[in-house]
Amino acid sequence: MKSDNGRDVDMRAAKAVVAVLATGLLVAACSSTKHRSQNTGQASTPSTQATSGGSSTHKAGGALTIVNVQGQTWSCQFNPFNPANFQESLGFVYEPLVYVNLLENQTETPMLASSYTWGPDKKSITFNIRSGVKWNDGQPFSAQDVAFTFNLMKRVPATDLYSLWTGAGLQSVTATGNQVSMQFDKTAQPYFWYFANLVGIVPQHIWSTGNAAVHPETFADPHPVGTGPYKVSPCSPNNIQYVANPYFWQPGKPYIQKVQYPGYLDNGPANLDLANGKGEWGSQFIPNIHQFYLSKSSDNHTWSPPVLNVAIFPNLDPSHAATSKLGVRQAISYALDRNQISQIGEDGQEPAANQSGVVMPTFQKYYDANALAAAGYDKQNLDKAKSALASAGYSPSNPLKLTIITITGYTDWDASLAVVKQQLKKVGIDLTVQDLAQQTFLSRLYNGDFDLAYYNQPSGGPTPYYELRNSLYSKNTAPIGKAASTNYERYRNPAVDALFDQYPSADDAGQVSIVKQIGAAMVKDVPIIPVTEAVDWFQYNTKDIAGWPTEQDQYAQPAAFNVPDVEQVLLHLYSLSAQ
Amino acid sequence: MRYVLRRLGFFALTLWAALTLNFFLPRFMPGNPLQALRARTHGKVSPEALQQMLTSYGFKPHQNVVSQYFAYLGNMFTGHWGVSIGATLGQPVRQIIGQALPWTLGLVGVATVLAFLLGSLIGVLAGWRRGGMLDSVLPPVFVVTSALPYFWVGLLLILVFSVWTHGWLPSDFNYDTSLQPGLSPGFVGSVLQHAVLPGATILITAIGAWILTMRNNMLTTLAEDYVRMARAKGLPDRRIMFDYAARNAMLPNLAGFAMSLGFVITGSILVEYVFNYPGLGYELYNAVQNTDYPLMQALFMLFTVAVLLALLICEFAIAVLDPRSRARA
Repeated sequence: MKSDNGRDVDMRAAKAVVAVLATGLLVAACSSTKHRSQNTGQASTPSTQATSGGSSTHKAGGALTIVNVQGQTWSCQFNPFNPANFQESLGFVYEPLVYVNLLENQTETPMLASSYTWGPDKKSITFNIRSGVKWNDGQPFSAQDVAFTFNLMKRVPATDLYSLWTGAGLQSVTATGNQVSMQFDKTAQPYFWYFANLVGIVPQHIWSTGNAAVHPETFADPHPVGTGPYKVSPCSPNNIQYVANPYFWQPGKPYIQKVQYPGYLDNGPANLDLANGKGEWGSQFIPNIHQFYLSKSSDNHTWSPPVLNVAIFPNLDPSHAATSKLGVRQAISYALDRNQISQIGEDGQEPAANQSGVVMPTFQKYYDANALAAAGYDKQNLDKAKSALASAGYSPSNPLKLTIITITGYTDWDASLAVVKQQLKKVGIDLTVQDLAQQTFLSRLYNGDFDLAYYNQPSGGPTPYYELRNSLYSKNTAPIGKAASTNYERYRNPAVDALFDQYPSADDAGQVSIVKQIGAAMVKDVPIIPVTEAVDWFQYNTKDIAGWPTEQDQYAQPAAFNVPDVEQVLLHLYSLSAQ
Repeated sequence: MRYVLRRLGFFALTLWAALTLNFFLPRFMPGNPLQALRARTHGKVSPEALQQMLTSYGFKPHQNVVSQYFAYLGNMFTGHWGVSIGATLGQPVRQIIGQALPWTLGLVGVATVLAFLLGSLIGVLAGWRRGGMLDSVLPPVFVVTSALPYFWVGLLLILVFSVWTHGWLPSDFNYDTSLQPGLSPGFVGSVLQHAVLPGATILITAIGAWILTMRNNMLTTLAEDYVRMARAKGLPDRRIMFDYAARNAMLPNLAGFAMSLGFVITGSILVEYVFNYPGLGYELYNAVQNTDYPLMQALFMLFTVAVLLALLICEFAIAVLDPRSRARA
């Protein structure tokens, strides 16, 4: 039941259109085209940040209710290193060094770091830490806290959620004055997203004493002390109430003084409350959204940007005779009318995907329409499908029967697969859909016990590189019978691996070209078959709250489960009645 | 005395068997806590860190199963139930249960007792006037409602009393989440208001069975000689109905009632789900979804003990009420 939210996608995406943002914060902070190079500006002080936008300041006041189904009662623990509940602390209470926006081509907003400089070969980086920031208990924040946070992750590996010290090659983190420098043993550029954007900075004066110091990984942290715009007051299993942090470093912000975050257990009640206007900020799939939500009020809106692929994962291992044949995979991909699947299966709310695996329109810059058209994958092509199937040795006298596994309760996927089944029937493939309990499904997916599996890679990153690397890099796979980490179809192609290895040290144009080449491999080898695009579910009500991210102003990923994007949204929102 | 000892011995044996099953069954389920946590965190977090995190929280799958089993048995009795390793990773299991238990007892408990009392009363009256107005309307109606699925009744009530009436009654949560819990009139009122729809759902679906069995028991009892005797003596109707007929007709239902009381603490998963009511039933569902062994074990243990205790008390009660059971024993 809650599974629709379970597969809510919270990885990031970027859009090529770089809008000039309304708020002074972003204008002052970053030049939208230089997002990868060092920030050229001086460390800006908080006062210039908040006022430089001029017209964008608002009066404080008002309240907001988030209606995001987390499928649990709140544990009232806010440890930012606890992956089960960091969505309730990161962005609200704890802040990163730099916020990276995937929807706008990795546009950066300096947060606790006012600027940074890459060292030679991007093997080291120096952050200038913002001055004048205070923790929400009134104590001053400093570069020491930043270094402390990263070194804590080294001391207690369970808190190193992104394997910075082991996988990314982090060697040392030291603070000098108001600067923090990090040394890596290799090019760290692809990891910037993780260490600058996803790690929340914790206060040394709290985390160096008592239980928090001994067991930072299991510390409950019921009264989190952070630098973010809100603090928790109070929390119950039913509801977290956040109130504005008076010490917050951006003067006058946050505008919204109280945020309620009720613990929804299932989509049904949550969607009903959204439709009734009991909550303003929704983040899960609403079936039949026009009738159920949008038609209820002219203040109800939705905008769900695509971020990842929902794909058919064929088993490429030679032990699976049919699906390891290129012709079979090509036939399936040619036979699909992805727009029809999107319309019927997903209520049009998840757009059609394409065979290159580049999520559109989010990653426009990396998309190669010509290559796709040249190979005939730009639309459904039944003739090519039939001939590809024939080349693989299947015919009406020797029909192909395949089984696809999916997850019970993902009703939209079931609907999509029903359409897929009909479309494949037209070219002579007899598809059986097998619904499995989530745990069983995942076991079989990880261990390679399937012919076809319908799934979406649960996370990607700020460019298509991240998702495609998860799906295609051979180091992410494993032999049949062993759990593969993310390359479930068992794709191994040294040429593609080499492209992934070159990516980190390439420049911007080089990276675009590499992703296009990987997209070409997707078209040539058909290792996975993207069908629709998973989106960031987002519904919002404008009766009293304004400042939401929109298709025209994509200043952050809009769903409330996106960390640390949630902070950017919270800092933009304001109450109309308080003005 | 021998009867009591034998019952107690049986209780202990059943409890041990159930606890043993509780330990092994979850571990035979597909999936494991690490996998569930990976899915919950959308694969964003490195599996190694998650593994270490779970180890810190006491999940040690590679330990010897026998020693795990004995440690588990000991912990069940000493109340060291550990911390959740599922959706509420890191929260002590006792805290989770402590927070959910009162809501379940309050909602499902009261609804169950009400259903039994009301159902029995209607059954008595219907049986007494067999073929009367009451008998020809209520039992058939409630037999139909008791066959309806919980969640369907719940959704229907939400539609009628919440959606169509624009929030006349609240459709989710156990109280208005913007209120702070306390003994203020506003909070208590909110709790009662929020209990109406889920309570009514349980009542509507549970009452039919009590009406039907009670009515049928009444019919049999009314044909007994002692009832005829009472009538012959010229006792008032009311006295015959309650003291002679109903009292005896009730006996077979007591065991069923004891069972249903025991099942109260398992909550009512679907009702809690539909109404977003944070009780034990929901916690159980979530524990299973996330392969949260510590929470599952503690919950199953509680459920087993509750049902067994209810049965034990019921057997003793019947022994007191019905001399025949003592004689047979």
